[in-house]
Amino acid sequence: MVFEWIRFILGTGLLVVGTVTFLLEIFGVFKFKYVLNRMHVAAMGDTLGISASLAGLMILFGFRFVTLKLALVIIFLWCASPVSSHLISRLEYVTDKNLNEFCEVKTENKGNE
Amino acid sequence: MSRPVPEEEYGKRVSGAFKLWMRGVRDPYLGNVEVSPETAGEEDETLLKGYQEETDRMIQRIHDIENNRRYRLFQKFYRAAAAICCLTLVVMLLITVAYLPPVGNADNPAHNEVAAKYIEDGLQDTGAVNIVTGMILDYRAFDTFGESNVLFIATCTVLILMRNDKKEGKGSAEEEERLDSFYEPKDDRILQTVAMILVPFIILFGIYVILNGHLSPGGGFSGGAIIGSALILYLNAFGFEKTERFFTAKTYKIISFSALSFYCIAKSYSFYTGAHHLESGIPLGTPGSILSSGLILPLNICVGLVVACTMYAFFALFRKGGF
Amino acid sequence: MQIFQYILLVFLIVCAVAVSFSKRLLNSILIFMSYSLVMSIIWILLESPDLAITEAAVGAGVTSLLFFATLKKIHAIREEDEENHEQTGS
Repeated sequence: MVFEWIRFILGTGLLVVGTVTFLLEIFGVFKFKYVLNRMHVAAMGDTLGISASLAGLMILFGFRFVTLKLALVIIFLWCASPVSSHLISRLEYVTDKNLNEFCEVKTENKGNE
Repeated sequence: MSRPVPEEEYGKRVSGAFKLWMRGVRDPYLGNVEVSPETAGEEDETLLKGYQEETDRMIQRIHDIENNRRYRLFQKFYRAAAAICCLTLVVMLLITVAYLPPVGNADNPAHNEVAAKYIEDGLQDTGAVNIVTGMILDYRAFDTFGESNVLFIATCTVLILMRNDKKEGKGSAEEEERLDSFYEPKDDRILQTVAMILVPFIILFGIYVILNGHLSPGGGFSGGAIIGSALILYLNAFGFEKTERFFTAKTYKIISFSALSFYCIAKSYSFYTGAHHLESGIPLGTPGSILSSGLILPLNICVGLVVACTMYAFFALFRKGGF
Repeated sequence: MQIFQYILLVFLIVCAVAVSFSKRLLNSILIFMSYSLVMSIIWILLESPDLAITEAAVGAGVTSLLFFATLKKIHAIREEDEENHEQTGS
């Protein structure tokens, strides 16, 4: 019985953490104005929020076949989301001429692109 | 059988003369038609004046439109009329929706003997556990055949619109693709590594969805779309040189044509033998196993192949104008 | 679950209206993607997982990819970007 309660509290806690992360992510995406900042916020929210909420669901469900599927979803999203944000940042780095106004850029790298 | 005509006599005939004219050997109008040299630079003044007056008039007219009271009134009336029309439509549709029978009611007109027949006899007739697949690939297989053909025809249309046959020089397919993806990351190590890990699993998942179409949700269309997106990811990561080693226009033609013709022949045989499973000679197998439900599994594979190739072909044609 | 369905339906209507009212084509496509995703969740709630899988793969994945490719082909993305720079860069 105590174990059940601990599991419930842990699972719901993780779910709440995930939801709060998503709310912060949405707030940040609308608050920041520059592309790289927004991308950073979105990527952080995606990885942390999704992993926290899915881990909460896994704990709430217990060890079943569904848990394995959720773990696969976490792995897939952890592969996909950072790569997409990396591509966005790289595209911004290549195309933006006024990049120096927003952040420090090593000039020798910029020449190689 | 036509008689061979000697060369000199042929040149005097109309068709012969036309052929020679087309080739540029002999011009029948040479010396007959008067060709006057172009008189350049003489009427420039008047022409320029005319152009200037035309532009002035146009600017005046535009100014008129902006300051015209009648035009403004018309614009206001137009907006008001659009809003009124939209509101009327919305109210009419809402009233109609309010009169619809509730969802799930047993007396709804959708719950007739056809649905009952499908739900009751679907498992025995088709052998598919997933009734939806049994319906779309067995009872109504020709619908799905038409859908696959629509996909094929859509690809042909895109091919006609976007095809770029130029091999070299300015405006060729490679050049256009290079200009289009000038800013895109090429040979990105991170993307390539992740694509190398993910693409086989995505394709495996697509194959799983296709093969289990008659047992679980999914089927040819969704599985084919998943495989197609995996191919698109591979194309984005590795570029056209890698994908053209295993997927060209010829591959697309062979796969699509053979899948569609197999579909057509199989379903024609099924309908020839009575359509409603009188005695077609195709074993239905035990419901629930992979190799069951007669023709549904091969037809699912056919639809999946067509859809996957079509998705990839769309993307390649939009990107490069050929594949 | 009923309330959840209502929230999703309201979101669906908002998305559908926003697609036609957004000024930029790129934003419209992104909103259309989210519309497809919400629609696929609604299909699952209506107990038709076949349609949900197809909607998620075709509506959110391939269709928007093709839209993006089309926008790039007609050079709509870059010009919008330049306009944006002119507005914010000053």
